[in-house]
Amino acid sequence: MGTPTEEAMKAAILEKIPDAAVQVGPGSGGGHFTVQVVSPVFEGKSMLESQRLVLGAIAHLMKGDGAPVHAIDSLKTRTTA
Amino acid sequence: MPLSDQQRQQFDELVKKSRVVLFMKGNKHFPQCGFSAQVIGILKETGVPFETVNVLSDPTVRDGIKEYSSWPTIPQLYVDGEFLGGCDIVKEMYAAGDLQKKLGVVEKPVAPPTITLDERAAKAIKDADEGNGEHLRLEIDEKFQYELYFGPPQAGDIEVVASGLKVLFDKASAKRADGIRIQWVDTPDGGAFKIENPNEPARVKSLTVTELKTWMDESKPFEMFDVRGEDERNIAKIDRARALDAAGEKHLLSLDKKTPLVFQCHHGMRSKSAAERFLREGFTNVFNLEGGIEAWSQKVDSKVARY
Repeated sequence: MGTPTEEAMKAAILEKIPDAAVQVGPGSGGGHFTVQVVSPVFEGKSMLESQRLVLGAIAHLMKGDGAPVHAIDSLKTRTTA
Repeated sequence: MPLSDQQRQQFDELVKKSRVVLFMKGNKHFPQCGFSAQVIGILKETGVPFETVNVLSDPTVRDGIKEYSSWPTIPQLYVDGEFLGGCDIVKEMYAAGDLQKKLGVVEKPVAPPTITLDERAAKAIKDADEGNGEHLRLEIDEKFQYELYFGPPQAGDIEVVASGLKVLFDKASAKRADGIRIQWVDTPDGGAFKIENPNEPARVKSLTVTELKTWMDESKPFEMFDVRGEDERNIAKIDRARALDAAGEKHLLSLDKKTPLVFQCHHGMRSKSAAERFLREGFTNVFNLEGGIEAWSQKVDSKVARY
């Protein structure tokens, strides 16, 4: 189990991409995270489109000054593990 | 909050105010976030002119651009009015050469740097290699901070072989790596890599009070300056240090730029800013006395008063 924020991010990504294998971990400091998502949904998509899909899913957690998610240090999207 | 038509139109214009527009935190000269700084570094490498928009100076732009691009983070790069992506994507596009194509810049091929790996460093690397097909990579960012790790090869990598080991560099790192020497040294916390790089700009070096004592005992030539005011100097001072008042500063500026300079204050903070200032003046051998006169009194000369 991750922190509540990590779990919330994971749940939000899974809601958008149900077949994904999602890993969320701590990044370089408070509110910073690393994210890896593996799903066939990224097949044929550019990096921009793939990242947009994931970031779109967690955008609500990144909004505003007091947002729990301040930055994603590294976001990796892959089609296979 | 959805954007109004009018706001959308303002962004349509803003993203086209120049061919290359970067929405960032801070500005070109003082990026206020590491991700923004990285993108600035890459844009400078390409040599194209670009405009920046500081989202910190206007909350409506900060929130609006996220909505406009459907992208929740800053920085955001626009080229010819088209959204390219954030830091990760720009980095990857640059490494693969796609960014340069998009910007229409022809990149000179980067010559593989000459590097030296000493025997112990090579052995430490071989011992760490898990044999899983990943290669040793060395990244050198624009502040000359180093990251040495095993990672997968990437498009645009530059490959160098030293002491029988393959080392991969991305292009920007390769440009900063010519002539480096990687050593394995013993430290109080165990073995560690040490990288010497002749391309590194001068920076303020740390000097401990015990090192300073050794310098004095060995009559090493150096000049020492106390940046504190007269009131503090009246309480306690190190005889060797000259006050950095108007006369002291005049003397300092008359010195050869390679003269070792030591700056000292009460705890080592004010002296650090002074040291940085003289580094900017072009002095290349600048030291900050860590812990200041307080540490000197505690560790070297207890006759110096503490306050």
